[in-house]
Amino acid sequence: MQYKQQNADALVDMVDIHKYFGSVQVLRGVDFHVDRQEIVGLLGDNGAGKSTLIKVLTGFHSLTRGQIYFDGDAVAIESPHDARELGIETVHQDLALVPLMSIARNFWLGQEPTYSIGPFRLLDKKKMASESVGALADVGIHIRDSEETVGTMSGGERQSIAIGRAVYFGKKLLILDEPTSALSVGETQKVLDYTIAAKEKGMGVIFITHNIRHVYEVADRFTIIERGHKLGDFYKSEVTENEVADMIVTGQIPERLRLYGEGAGE
Amino acid sequence: MMQAYLENKREAATVGLLVTFLNFGFAILGALVAFLVFFGWMPFGERANILRSDLNNIEIIVTIASLIYAACCARTGFGLLRREKSSLRWSQWMLFITVMIGGAILLSVIIPVGLKFSLLLSQDIDLRAVINDTAAVSELAPMALMVGETLIGVNLFLIALLALLALLVFIIPPLDALRRIDGIRLIVAPPRRLIVAFMVLLTIGVACVLIAGAFTVPLYPGMTTIRDAENHRLLAGLLFFLPGFVGYRLVRQVEEESDELRRAIALTPGKFIRSELAKSPSAGAIIGFIAIFMAFTMATDLFLEPSSVASFLSNVATKGIIAIGVTYLMISGEFDLSVGSILGVTALSFMNFMTNGAPVFGVMEPIPAAMLAIFVAFVLGSINGVLLITTRIPSFIVTLGTLLAFRAITLVAIAGGRILRYSDHHDALPVIAISNLVFMALVVIGLLVVAFTAYRVLPVWYRQAAHAWSIREANGDFGTTGALIRTGVFLLALFVIVIAVIWLVAVFSYHSSAGGGQMVEVGYFDLFNGRVLSIGSEGDFFHMPIPRNANVRLAIVWWFIFVAIFHVILTNTSFGNSIFATGGNEGAARAQGVNVDRIKLQNFVIVALLTGIAAIYETARNPGVDPLKGTGWELEVIAMTVIGGALLTGGYGSVVGSLLGALIFGMLQTGLVLVGIESRLFAGTIGVIIIAAVVLNTLVRGGQRN
Ligand SMILES: Nc1ncnc2c1ncn2[C@@H]1O[C@H](COP(=O)(O)OP(=O)(O)OP(=O)(O)O)[C@@H](O)[C@H]1O
Ligand SMILES: [Mg+2]
Repeated sequence: MQYKQQNADALVDMVDIHKYFGSVQVLRGVDFHVDRQEIVGLLGDNGAGKSTLIKVLTGFHSLTRGQIYFDGDAVAIESPHDARELGIETVHQDLALVPLMSIARNFWLGQEPTYSIGPFRLLDKKKMASESVGALADVGIHIRDSEETVGTMSGGERQSIAIGRAVYFGKKLLILDEPTSALSVGETQKVLDYTIAAKEKGMGVIFITHNIRHVYEVADRFTIIERGHKLGDFYKSEVTENEVADMIVTGQIPERLRLYGEGAGE
Repeated sequence: MMQAYLENKREAATVGLLVTFLNFGFAILGALVAFLVFFGWMPFGERANILRSDLNNIEIIVTIASLIYAACCARTGFGLLRREKSSLRWSQWMLFITVMIGGAILLSVIIPVGLKFSLLLSQDIDLRAVINDTAAVSELAPMALMVGETLIGVNLFLIALLALLALLVFIIPPLDALRRIDGIRLIVAPPRRLIVAFMVLLTIGVACVLIAGAFTVPLYPGMTTIRDAENHRLLAGLLFFLPGFVGYRLVRQVEEESDELRRAIALTPGKFIRSELAKSPSAGAIIGFIAIFMAFTMATDLFLEPSSVASFLSNVATKGIIAIGVTYLMISGEFDLSVGSILGVTALSFMNFMTNGAPVFGVMEPIPAAMLAIFVAFVLGSINGVLLITTRIPSFIVTLGTLLAFRAITLVAIAGGRILRYSDHHDALPVIAISNLVFMALVVIGLLVVAFTAYRVLPVWYRQAAHAWSIREANGDFGTTGALIRTGVFLLALFVIVIAVIWLVAVFSYHSSAGGGQMVEVGYFDLFNGRVLSIGSEGDFFHMPIPRNANVRLAIVWWFIFVAIFHVILTNTSFGNSIFATGGNEGAARAQGVNVDRIKLQNFVIVALLTGIAAIYETARNPGVDPLKGTGWELEVIAMTVIGGALLTGGYGSVVGSLLGALIFGMLQTGLVLVGIESRLFAGTIGVIIIAAVVLNTLVRGGQRN
């Protein structure tokens, strides 16, 4: 089967994505794209397949069928490592940090800075400590000690660290899967702020959440997923907050918006 | 509170004065102890005649330590009198140290007495009769025994009764209604105070029995080595322990305006040590190691003999090497039950390659044979790893399968349970001659390595130490423990380097001189794992005298080297970081781009390689292989790893911990025999120790959530 990129200058274009876990069909032909410098709110009911979709994009799951284009090229993202190489950073809903490891080690996991002595490459612990403290302070998270284990921290603190890490390393695309679920009002506002800051730096952002108010504040466009199908793409200018909420709950596109919904323009 | 004292606030003045005088009291006590020990009234260790003043080493150390301690106490007391700020922290530490000293002295009586008393009990001696008969025993002993036994008995009876009642209430449904009655609630959920009361009574009971024991044990001079004089330490211990404890609790609360000062002070010695320990996975093992080491040292004089130490080190060295690999694997969340079988196959291959010959290469020399055998281990480890990552079966099952399957190889290869011996095929053990040139080249390389590391490391350490010292000068005594340690480490390193250089130069000149210049003949097997003294020509190890009776095996040296290398890899490379992440949260590790499968495969291979190396050492030590070689090792090695603080669930552990675990294992193996406990009890003791170790590890890790 031949795929072709549908949105010519999108940063990411996922075409006809299918993902089956054995006989469970979680994604059944989803098209999804993120433009450059765009914040997309990815919405849907519990179990709709949002996390699965971004796990396919980040190489955590292999896809059953479909094609991903990144920066205009067809890419095969086979592992999270590949996704990182492309400049994609993710805050996963359920796979954030390793509780028994220190903040600094979590922060640098998978791309630790090293220095070499002869043929041996050893961790640059000083850099790990100072840069992680600095980077987290930049996004407003002040930690006491970068050697503290993550397991002793509160849920919100952990989430902040995962977000800080993604913001620090993200180059082209930032994916936030329910980043604010454990955060206080103030912290949530910070996350929304640096979501916008990331966009202004030229990155694309995928923002998944159940709190429509948050995402309505920052997103440029909403993609609603309903039990493995895409319900539609809606620009913020086209819909109201309430309409978005209704669509998520009912899984129906209101009459007024049929034009923009699935099949629009085809 | 203490701060208030320094500022002359009335309400705190009493406590402050109390602590001040406590410090003076301890100073006097310390001086007294030094005096008593020096003149033989309070013996430590073994001593021929109590009244003769032939001090042994332990006593000299104790004397000096007590004098230093007394001086520090006096200094602290003066500081408090003159209301110096730094004396606050000093007094905390001094009291803390006092409690520790008191506790150690108490333990030094209680542990041996307890051990020996239980030995006496196990010998079917009617204690009561002995105690009543002997006039030599003071009146105290029978009374203490009676009180103790009564207390323990009544306590146990009450506890059993309550437990029974509680059980009844829970099990029998009709009695359920009873639970609502007030009196019953007492049983079902006893209030804290009741529990504490029970504990206190029980403790007093045990203490009484111990005191009785302390007086009874010396009556059996043939069987024990405790003398009355040693029991006098009980008093000293109590004098240090109780006031110190009370004082420490009193000065615990301190308040301070300056933020930095408050941080320094709020971190009481207890908290400081606990937080330091909580950072290290091997903390529990460290405590256990010290405790067991002290216990055996106090319980028997044979334990610290070079021969005993050497023998227990030699016994665990090879297992310790395997434990390093198993630790890696366990940290990454997996498990290897097949190491014993891999060891068997590798040892068999090694021996077989040298005697019957390998398929292509024919009969081989030891070193190529060893390499090929280790390759065999590599293949076996890869089989484990590949099976795991392709089938996704839990490693417990996979390696249980390979445990049996690999064992089949040796069982089939050596028919009829024979032993494959090197001496059956060759007349003499293989020998390699090392020419002087090679030897001297090795020494020169050694010198260069030493010089290079010194060049790289020392200036850095010196700068650090100097910097820390300047902080100390500027800030006084606060937060400078690190400075002292760093300075100490720097001096120690300097010392070690100087010694190493001198020794290497000595070896160099010895071998280049006319007299010492003969070829060095080394047995191949000795090179792998010989007695250290059999290397070199004149019963010395490269010029270093080693007691002739000590069974120091080279594998010990290799073991420590491996520990150092693998420790650095685990804690200081991205590979090590990935191992922790893989075991700690596989999904998160994968999401961050760690190739989890590769890490696991690599770890299985590492275990197998280390097992292969251990197999070579084992075979070299005793050049014969039987088909059951290595059976049961897997569990012992896992025990060592778990004692060393690794979590079975993955994500936590350390190589140093595995070293300590193996050492604890070895100490128990040797020590229990020396103390006179039957070897049949060994497995049981290890079982208890494992559980205790894991409990200890969990306690030390404290509040850390998973
Ligand atoms: N590894 C898996 N194996 C089988 N089924 C899976 C797997 N992962 C997800 N699913 C199923 O896929 C469906 C979608 O899951 P997903 O996590 O993508 O939902 P979601 O939209 O992120 O929901 P939420 O808002 O609750 O996070 C669920 O029904 C879930 O049971
Ligand atoms: Mg989700």
